[in-house]
Amino acid sequence: MPDSAALAYPVRLPSQRSRIERRLLLVSSIVALALAAAGPLVLDTYSISILIRSFLYGAIAVTVDILWGFTGILSFGQAAFFGIGAYALGLTVTQYDFTAPVVTAALIGGPLVAALAAGIVAWLGFGPKVSPLYISVITLVLSVIFVQVIYSGGDFTGSSSGLSNFDTFDISVEGWFRIAGAFLVAVTAAGWIFVRSDFGRLLVAIRENEQRCRYCGIGTVRVKAVLLIGSAVITALAGFAYAGYNDVIAPDLGNFQFGTQLVIWVALGGRGTLIGPAVAAVLIDFISAWLSGSLPFIWQLIIGLVFIVVIVLLPQGLGPAVADLFRRGRTRSVAARLAPLPDADVAGSGAVPAIQVERVTRNYGSLHVLQDITFTAGAGELVSLVGPNGAGKTTLIRCLSDGQERSAGRVAIEGNPIGRLPPEACVRFGLGRKFQTPNVFDALTVAESLRIARSRQERLSVIRTADEVRLPAAAMRVVQATGLSSQLGTTVKHLSHGAKQALELAMVLAMEPRVLLLDEPTAGLTKSERSLIGEVLVQLVRNHGLCILLIEHDLEFVREISSRIIVLHQGSIVMDGTVEEVTNSELVRTIYTGEPHAVAA
Amino acid sequence: MSEALAVETLTSGYGEAMVLRDVNLRVMAGEVLAVLGKNGMGKTTLLKTIMGFLPAYRGRVSIFSKPTIGEPPHHLAGRAVAYSPQEQAIFQELTVEENLKLGLGRRARFAPELKRVAAFFPFLAERRRQLAGTLSGGEQKMLIMARALIARPKLMLVDEITEGLQPSIILRLADVLRREKSANGTAILLIEQNISFALSIADRYAVLSRGEVVDEGDARQPGADTSIAEHLSV
Repeated sequence: MPDSAALAYPVRLPSQRSRIERRLLLVSSIVALALAAAGPLVLDTYSISILIRSFLYGAIAVTVDILWGFTGILSFGQAAFFGIGAYALGLTVTQYDFTAPVVTAALIGGPLVAALAAGIVAWLGFGPKVSPLYISVITLVLSVIFVQVIYSGGDFTGSSSGLSNFDTFDISVEGWFRIAGAFLVAVTAAGWIFVRSDFGRLLVAIRENEQRCRYCGIGTVRVKAVLLIGSAVITALAGFAYAGYNDVIAPDLGNFQFGTQLVIWVALGGRGTLIGPAVAAVLIDFISAWLSGSLPFIWQLIIGLVFIVVIVLLPQGLGPAVADLFRRGRTRSVAARLAPLPDADVAGSGAVPAIQVERVTRNYGSLHVLQDITFTAGAGELVSLVGPNGAGKTTLIRCLSDGQERSAGRVAIEGNPIGRLPPEACVRFGLGRKFQTPNVFDALTVAESLRIARSRQERLSVIRTADEVRLPAAAMRVVQATGLSSQLGTTVKHLSHGAKQALELAMVLAMEPRVLLLDEPTAGLTKSERSLIGEVLVQLVRNHGLCILLIEHDLEFVREISSRIIVLHQGSIVMDGTVEEVTNSELVRTIYTGEPHAVAA
Repeated sequence: MSEALAVETLTSGYGEAMVLRDVNLRVMAGEVLAVLGKNGMGKTTLLKTIMGFLPAYRGRVSIFSKPTIGEPPHHLAGRAVAYSPQEQAIFQELTVEENLKLGLGRRARFAPELKRVAAFFPFLAERRRQLAGTLSGGEQKMLIMARALIARPKLMLVDEITEGLQPSIILRLADVLRREKSANGTAILLIEQNISFALSIADRYAVLSRGEVVDEGDARQPGADTSIAEHLSV
C-alpha cells in the first residue's frame, strides 16, 4: 500500500489538468489565429500597421515574463536584442543587395549575434557570488552599449537618424499583420506549454531557492543562461520582422527606455501569468499609439497614473485580478502520485573512503572556525558529529559540500577531490545535504519539490508534466510516516516547520545519495517521527552501505543510531570514538551535556 | 493574579485552510503555559494570530485584559510582549549588539541590560560586534531568546526555542525562564516539541491537535508527561 493515503485524497493528476488546459489552449490559439487572419478585413490601415508592432512587442513581453515572472531574472536587455535583430536586416540589405542569401544570412545572423551577446551577459551576470540585481544592471548596460555602438557607426549604421528606405520584403501590410499575429500566438502558446511543464516548475524553483536547486545537482547558471539566450533569439526574430515591415529603424529601438517599458507592461499584465503580459503589451502599445495622436502630452501621464494605481491596488497586476473574476469555487489541488522505485544498490565500491577530510581549515577573517580537521568515514558508517553550539559543526558540513568554502585542506567524496567545485558538482559525486533550517521551495507543491529533487535521475520534460514521482524506499517511508503523502498537492509554504524538515529530508533521500550530510534532520519533529527517521537512516547504512554524517543534539537519538561519534569543540576534533567511549567521557559531560557553571544568581 | 493573555474561541488559518478551531487558552501573570502538539497542528499559527501577523476569522484575544484583535504586531511589542518566532527571526546583516538593541524598549539603557542578558549567554557580550548571520544556528537561537528577554517583557511567546540547542544550554534556558517568571512575574506561552524541557518550567500544559485543544492540565501533576505523550503519538 505505497500510496493509499495519496489516492484517498481528492487530488487531480497533472495529466488530467493539462489535458483540459491544452484543449483550451488549442481552441484559443485557433480563435486567435482566425482573428489575426480576419483582422485586416475589418480594421483600418492605421490600426493594422500599429498592431503589427504591438503583436511583436507582445511576443517579447512573453519572453520577459518567462525570465522575470517565472525565473526571477529581471532583464532590461530585451530592447538590445530587438535592436540587434532589426539592425541585422537593415545593415545587410543596405550593404548588399536584397537577395535571398543576404536576407537569410541576416535572419540567421541577427539572432546569432543576439545569442552571443546574451551568452556574454549570462557569463558576466550569473556568477555564483553575485546578487540577482547584477543581471539587471548588466542587461541595462547592454542596451546603453547597443545605442552607443549604433551612434558611433557613422554612415554605416546611420548613426542617430538610423536607416530607412532600404529594400525589403514585398509583403502587404495585411500580410505582415498575419505574420506578426501568428508569431505572437506561436510564442505565447509555446511559452504556455513550457512554463506549465515539469521544467517550467524548475524555473520557479530557481527563483524561489537557487541554493537548494544547486544542492539537488542542477546547474542553475546553465539553465538561466540558456533561457536568456533563447529569449534573445526570439526577441531578435521580432526585431527582424519589425525592420522588414517598417523599413525604418533607429537606435532608440534598442535603448533601455524600451527595455524598461517592457518590464512595466509585464508588471501591469501580471508577471508569472504569461497571457497577462502579452495582452498588456499589445493593448498598451496600441492605445498609446492612438492617444499619442489625440492627446500628445497627456497620454504618458495617463499611462503613468494607471501604472501607479495598478501597482498600489493590484500588486499582482491585472492578469490575476481578471482571472479571479472567472474562477468559481475551490480549485482542486493537483499532484502527481508517488510510485516506489525498485530497491537499487547505490553504495560505492567501498575501496575508497566515502568521506576523506585532510587538514581542513576555515577562517572568517581573523576568526578560526575550523582548525586542522582530519578524518575519514567509510561506506556503512553512521558518524554523528556532536559538540557545543558554535563549535563549527555546520561549517564543517559546508566545507564538505562546496569547494569554495574551506580556507585550506583537502576534501574528497567517494575518492573524488572536490577542489574548488560548486555544490552541484559535489552532488554529482553522490553527495546529499540537508540543511539546518528547512531549505525548500515555498511556492511549489510537495509533489513538485520531490520531482525536482529527482531531476538528475529522471529528466524534466519541457512540454509535459509527469503523473508519477518515483521515489526510492527510504524517501517513500519518510513521506508516508510524516503524513506528507496526504499533502502532495499542498503548497510548501503552508506546511508546518516540522513538515518542511521532513520534506527536505525526503528530497535529499530521493536523490539516492551515497554520502549523506544531515544537519539536525529531526529538529522540529515529534519523538515518534524522530525514531522512525532514525530507523530509516540505520537501514540505509546497514542494508545499502551509505555513509552518513549527522549533526544532532539529542544524545539519546545519537546513541541509538550511530556507529561512531566525532566531538567537535572550538573548531577542532577533540574526540573520535565509539558510542560508549564518547557518551561516557568526562569531556563530553563538561563541554556539552552538563551544566559546567551554574548561572550566577 | 492578573490575566496576561486570554484567547477565546479563536479561529484562524491561511486563506481557505482553517488551522485553529475555537481555541480557548488563558495565561496568568507569572505563569508558564506549555502548548504541545504534533507538526501541523496549529501551534505556530496560534502565536502568529495572537501577535496579529495572521487575521482571526472569529474569536477574541486579550493581552493584559485589553482586546488586541486588529492591532498591528508592533503595537503589541510596545506593550511588553516579546515574541520569539521559529523561523527567520534575526537580522542576519546586523551585528549581535544591533539585534539586541532592536529588542530594547525606547527608554531603557543598553549597557546594564546587555550585562543582564549576557549573564545568561556570555558569548553575546564577547562577540557583540559580530554579524548575527555568521553565528551558528544554536547561537542564533540564544540571540533570539536574549533579544526577547532584554526588554523585560511581561508576556513572552516562545516558539520552539530549544531546537538545535546543546543539552547544557537547554538546561540553562530552563533556568533563565524560571527565574524570569518568578523574579519579574513574566507570563510565558511556550511552544515546544521537547516535552521534558516544557514540563520542567511549565505550570500548566495544553495539547493542540488539528487546531483544537484536546488535553489540558497541571504540568506538575504526576502522569502529565504520559498523558501528553499519548496524545502526541496518536
